Amino acid sequence: MHMKERDARDQETGDKWEVQLRKGCLELAILAALWDGRRYGLEILRRLESDSDLIVSEGTVYPLLSRLKTLGLVRSEWVESDAGHPRKYYALTPAGKRRALEMTRIWARFSSSMGKLLAPLAKETR
Amino acid sequence: MTMSGDSQQRIDAYFGQLRARLRGIKDEEVREIVEELRSHVVDKASAFGEVTPAGVDAALAALGNPEELASQYLTDNLLARAVVSQSPLQILRSLFRWASFSVAGFFVLLGSLIGYFFGVVFILVALLKPLHPHTAGLWALPSSSGDFEMSFRLGFGVVPPGGRDVLGWWIVPIGMVVGCGLVMLTTHIAVWFVRQYRKSRVTPQG
Repeated sequence: MHMKERDARDQETGDKWEVQLRKGCLELAILAALWDGRRYGLEILRRLESDSDLIVSEGTVYPLLSRLKTLGLVRSEWVESDAGHPRKYYALTPAGKRRALEMTRIWARFSSSMGKLLAPLAKETR
Repeated sequence: MTMSGDSQQRIDAYFGQLRARLRGIKDEEVREIVEELRSHVVDKASAFGEVTPAGVDAALAALGNPEELASQYLTDNLLARAVVSQSPLQILRSLFRWASFSVAGFFVLLGSLIGYFFGVVFILVALLKPLHPHTAGLWALPSSSGDFEMSFRLGFGVVPPGGRDVLGWWIVPIGMVVGCGLVMLTTHIAVWFVRQYRKSRVTPQG
């Protein structure tokens, strides 16, 4: 019983950590998904699903897009589609591009130093 | 694109609920949010050529319940807006929203209201002094205990006997500088608190 409780707790803190990690990366992931051109919400979601390991909830991505727009990192425009209804496309602004590059630099530095630190552990989990 | 009445009804019901909970955001923006999500739902539900009720249900379920979705929009948007705009009205709007679900927000709102109130009083007195040269200003009035009490007077009505205009015409430059300074200071402090709050809530809910 005691062991079970502890397992459950470890499991939960582990899950929470992963959720936080993913969420923290989401902003950069969205900016990156727009790097090579404009996309609408569902395209961004599909891009994130196929090219990253981020399991993103739609209810998180749309409000985040709206925030990025308020912050001036992306702009949006409505474009008519073949589907018969317009779609809202997002594109990076110059400020958004700068921010994406800056975040990428930080990410690269962080992940390489973490990689060094974790190298001995990585061998164990292989 | 064809859609059964049933599917349409489900979509309308969902967005009716969402719209009702997006209070505090401008109508125009609410419309845009709803239109964008509606087009998302239709796109998703029509992956196989036709919009089916089951597809609609799945797409709506993936968006989450309207209440949670609206709260993400409200918090994210209003706080981001307050930080970007630096306009006292926008900041107060955001703070009202923040105060509605957090004690910390309530106190920041209270402090900001007091700061803005005094800022506006200083500016008002400075502006009204030229109109009411003999009655507006910062006055020392005799109080019942024999002391003086300071009082801002906008110049409407008469000054009680024994009152003294402390600053005279100096109230105009001093009032403007102190008033504008207070408004700016309050704005900066409020935005600072909002930023701290945003940082603290990178992800409280999973």
